[in-house]
Amino acid sequence: MSAQHAHADAHASHGAGHISPISLYVTIFLSLMVLTGVTVFAAYVDLGQFNFLVAMIIAVFKASLVVWYFMHVKYQSKLTKLTVATGLFFLAILLGLMLVDYGSKTGPPGAFAPMPPPIDADSAIGTPPAR
Amino acid sequence: MSNAVVHADHGHADAAHHPAHQHHFDTMAQQKEAAVIGMWVFLLTEILFFGGLFVAYMVYRIWYFDAFAEASRRLDLFWGGLNTAVLIFSSLTMAMAVRGAQTNKRKATVNWLILTMILGSVFLGVKVIEYQDKFANYEVPGANYNWMYHEEHAAAEGHPVAHRELSLTPEQLQNTTQIYFSLYFTMTGLHALHMIIGVGLMMVITWMAWKGKFDAQYYTPVEMSGLYWHFVDIVWIFLFPLLYLVERHT
Repeated sequence: MSAQHAHADAHASHGAGHISPISLYVTIFLSLMVLTGVTVFAAYVDLGQFNFLVAMIIAVFKASLVVWYFMHVKYQSKLTKLTVATGLFFLAILLGLMLVDYGSKTGPPGAFAPMPPPIDADSAIGTPPAR
Repeated sequence: MSNAVVHADHGHADAAHHPAHQHHFDTMAQQKEAAVIGMWVFLLTEILFFGGLFVAYMVYRIWYFDAFAEASRRLDLFWGGLNTAVLIFSSLTMAMAVRGAQTNKRKATVNWLILTMILGSVFLGVKVIEYQDKFANYEVPGANYNWMYHEEHAAAEGHPVAHRELSLTPEQLQNTTQIYFSLYFTMTGLHALHMIIGVGLMMVITWMAWKGKFDAQYYTPVEMSGLYWHFVDIVWIFLFPLLYLVERHT
């Protein structure tokens, strides 16, 4: 019997999987609530271009807490962790390459791809607003 | 093991087996890990599924930032914030339900699952209130969309809306804000659909838990529904700042 088997059997004898203490779950919950408050607060502070960045950093941190503790990835095998990381890697490709593509197509270096031509009043969708 | 079953013809040295232990897995732990990886592979397809919508959101947000900022202010931060809190709380109750199963507490598992379903229903109820408000204010993209209705209505009631310096004319806003609301309804609608599926899943899991199908050795369906529910929570963690908090400081 390999060491891995012995480890797995030891787990099975007292239930499969790691049991987190309630205090940990409550701590994560309270952290998520506080971070939600921080996101709303930060949105009302003028940080210029950094408002979006701050909101996304907080959201990524909140999501990481959920994945790591609520979804038990911390206690899973390396194979499971790799599976999770693969998904995030492909999401990064999807978001990253899309922004690189749109950001570099035309116009001056560093400029985003041009906006589609404005829609004229004749082709407007729905009721035109009264002025 | 209280409910162990002896399989004489199984060929393993240890004759005592858990009834949920399928014979092609060496151990319960291996069986559970296979389920966890399988569930994560499914969630990865979901991440990329929602990822496509986030990409569309990003492109249009950069193109029509002013329209997104204006339209985002039409959402009620109270309802959005409340729903965020409700959903985060439901993630806690879901984690507690899994913990109940892990520690052989059948009634606790059932109760936490029921509480999670109630919180999920509260979220969906708030979403109905928000959608209803959008329909009432002609803010649903399509033939009846009217960007100016909200302001005219507010002015008629004696609370005129303060105007901000915008790079877009009302005619342009009429068109471009519909892009925001199209994405709003698609993303929150798809998220709500996942919530409905999650509550449906939990109904089955609650019934199974009530019947005593789970114990400390076997609670995989509870844990898998938990992974799904937490994933739906994570999607909302991103949707909330992207849709409700585009630009609130000016």
